[in-house]
Amino acid sequence: MTKGPGYRFMVYMSKQMIACDEASFLISYREDHRLGLRKWWNLKMHLLSCHLCRKYARQIGELNSSLEVYREHCSHESCEHHLSPEAGSRITKLVKRDLNAK
Amino acid sequence: MHGRALRICILYEIDSRRRQMPDREEHKIEPQHWVERYGDYLFSYAIMRVNDSSKAEDIVQETFMAGLKAREQFRGESAERTWLTSILKRKIIDTYRKKYTSKELNFGEHEETVFDGDFYRSEEPFRGHWLDGKGPHSNSLLPDGELEQQELMKFISLCIDQLPPQLAAAFAMKMIDEEDSATICKELGITASNLWVMLHRARLRMRECLEKNWLN
Repeated sequence: MTKGPGYRFMVYMSKQMIACDEASFLISYREDHRLGLRKWWNLKMHLLSCHLCRKYARQIGELNSSLEVYREHCSHESCEHHLSPEAGSRITKLVKRDLNAK
Repeated sequence: MHGRALRICILYEIDSRRRQMPDREEHKIEPQHWVERYGDYLFSYAIMRVNDSSKAEDIVQETFMAGLKAREQFRGESAERTWLTSILKRKIIDTYRKKYTSKELNFGEHEETVFDGDFYRSEEPFRGHWLDGKGPHSNSLLPDGELEQQELMKFISLCIDQLPPQLAAAFAMKMIDEEDSATICKELGITASNLWVMLHRARLRMRECLEKNWLN
């Protein structure tokens, strides 16, 4: 069998292939870092061939956006959590006692 | 004096008056109104992060006490609420740290072996592939159509609660408090690569947990 001019290159490229574990790590790693050219390319190639990791990437995006909603949720005034009345009066008492002590 | 000179004089006068005025309103500190004014806000802030109402109450109480002790240092530069929130943040970071050091079991200890045997295959021809049932199933994590925000919030806090404590601490600091990586590493005493491994593991588990909860 003759080996064409691209053979060595193809062998090299196939050794570069990454599996789902590394790909899914890179998916969360790229949120805060710029991937290097090789990592970026490896991830692209993996995502082209792996439908599970494509789903994973999409779901992680959704996770991030819903966490954003979660963060915003309580920064405006209409927030559902209230200090229970017992705890409120207990803390008020403590604060008053501390104020009077000085 | 008229014309240009007058105008310059007037502008100068206005400018000097403006300089004498304090350029922002002075914030006063009134501890007797703290609980009614900021109690609910601080409580919701805390409960989002600790998922436990009695713990959150304790944290709010500690915050008020620390605020009382430190009220001489209050300069009036920021509003009372912002000031109290910054104290509360310190307290919450302390609880994260406690959570992080609470149990012996340690995640992400090996910096090089990033990969989690709970999620990926380890036998040779398929090494590193998703284990059956551990990879993503549905196209979308969230059901399309009307999204019950209330329910989503409930699931998120439930899933954060179910993470191993170390992962939960790192994940909450990063994704909910939006601390930068350097701060988190300093507070928890871990290296940056360790942090990224932990965040990755936390995401794997969060994703799995949310998907499971939505499918049921």
